[in-house]
Amino acid sequence: MDYQKPIPLKNQDNHPYWDAADRHELLIQKCESCGHYSHPPGPACSKCGSAELSWENLGSEVNGTIYSFIISYRPFLPGFQDDLPLVIAVVELDKAPQVKLIANVLNCNPQDVSIGMNVKMTWQDITEDRALPQWIPA
Amino acid sequence: MAQIKDRYAIVGVGESERSKNSGTTPLHLALDAARAAIQDAGIEAKDIDGFMSYSENDSCTSHQLATYLGVRPKYVKDIMGGGSSTEMLIADAIGLIETGQVNTVLIYRAMNGRSGVRMGGGGWDINMLQSAIDGGSFIIPYGAGGPAQWFGLFATRHMHETGLTQEHLGHVCVSFYEHAQRNPKAYFYGKPLTMEAYKETPYLSYPFNKHDFCLESDEANAIIVTSAERAKDCQSRPAYIMGITARQCVSHSHYWSDLSEVAADYVAPELYKKAGISPADLDVASIYDCYSWVVLRQLEAYGIAPRGEVGDFVAAGNLRMGGKLPSNTAGGMLSEGYTHGMNNVLEIVRQIRHDYKGTDRQVENCEFGLCTGWAGPDIAGAMILRN
Ligand SMILES: [Zn+2]
Repeated sequence: MDYQKPIPLKNQDNHPYWDAADRHELLIQKCESCGHYSHPPGPACSKCGSAELSWENLGSEVNGTIYSFIISYRPFLPGFQDDLPLVIAVVELDKAPQVKLIANVLNCNPQDVSIGMNVKMTWQDITEDRALPQWIPA
Repeated sequence: MAQIKDRYAIVGVGESERSKNSGTTPLHLALDAARAAIQDAGIEAKDIDGFMSYSENDSCTSHQLATYLGVRPKYVKDIMGGGSSTEMLIADAIGLIETGQVNTVLIYRAMNGRSGVRMGGGGWDINMLQSAIDGGSFIIPYGAGGPAQWFGLFATRHMHETGLTQEHLGHVCVSFYEHAQRNPKAYFYGKPLTMEAYKETPYLSYPFNKHDFCLESDEANAIIVTSAERAKDCQSRPAYIMGITARQCVSHSHYWSDLSEVAADYVAPELYKKAGISPADLDVASIYDCYSWVVLRQLEAYGIAPRGEVGDFVAAGNLRMGGKLPSNTAGGMLSEGYTHGMNNVLEIVRQIRHDYKGTDRQVENCEFGLCTGWAGPDIAGAMILRN
């Protein structure tokens, strides 16, 4: 059956991130002028306004710590009705604590999720050519 | 910069009937609210030359409203916006009056918020949402599709850092529901909430259960703003605007990138400076309450209670009548009605004017009132009114 949930839309500013995700890699935008990581990616650095941006490849071994989370018991968007309860977490990257990535926490009882919990990134192949970064317990 | 302290006032407030299914259009609701506000002010519709509204594309236009009040307006403005729009439009109105564009402005919010376009989600185009929200493609594919989830991420972290508990959220709900029991026009009039019942309610989206969510209603609210000089010609007692901070933003338009800052943190210091009073001087408040936690975070931002002590503050009953700062005394958006904050503005005006004098709804001898608006963690505005 076709994937029923929203598929990340690529655009001019974010496509390197999602292209990397499709290859099961994490790419984070970084400002060449002030060194600040920019996430979500944008047309310029949100800290200094510089348009001198590059992409740092954090590879496929990405670990992080849960910074915050919610547990959804009702689908607030179509397609999620079979995923309840759904954990949506903000995760601080171990290699770049400035960066906090939002994704679901999979393979885990929602009751066991807590702030400070260690997680690692995995990639869900959602269509033939698209993959979605997700978190699982480390 | 012109000093506006006490030189402008809200001179009229009014509302339409409140229901879950109005069976009529936002224009009809807006007319009812506008006529009530005009009557409250004791002026003629023709005395109003500016009309403003905010909506989420779910209302009528200011030009339509003016037309069917029989007025040719000199100025109309309809903005897209939710929470904190009232404060922003009041500040805009003051600027226009100050520069001689208009004399008196009516601001309204009209919506079939239950039977028409609902804010709580559902029916939204998911690809539209991904593009419409900055960084939308980084949250929508994960099922984070509504404010309960977006604000919830802030709430869980804030609760973790400051020791706030589920019960503290419950105190906000229980206090506001208690106010609603004195307000026959409140949606949850006759439906009190106990802490026991609150705690037994299952989560909709942790850390929120249904009581932590605002309700949805069909209604319109209107207010009239004019100068202190013109206010003297009105029949109502003016609620003077001591200070107003129209709209502040956080550092990033994708506000989830930093859960530690909210726009109210920037509004508060400016506001008290303009008004020339401190949080301890406040007697009554209307605190934007789209979710219970949003109230707690604002109590911290506006210096009502220090960070880390907000939970104790609400647990001690300080939001209730007789507490240190009775708040949302008509029931708020958690239990009275929901017009993206304007119903809370109506209530603070009525408290400040002592409209309820002689009843158990009046915060006795209240002089200074705080009214806050919250579009989200990212955008906020607020004002302080005085008797
Ligand atoms: Zn930079």
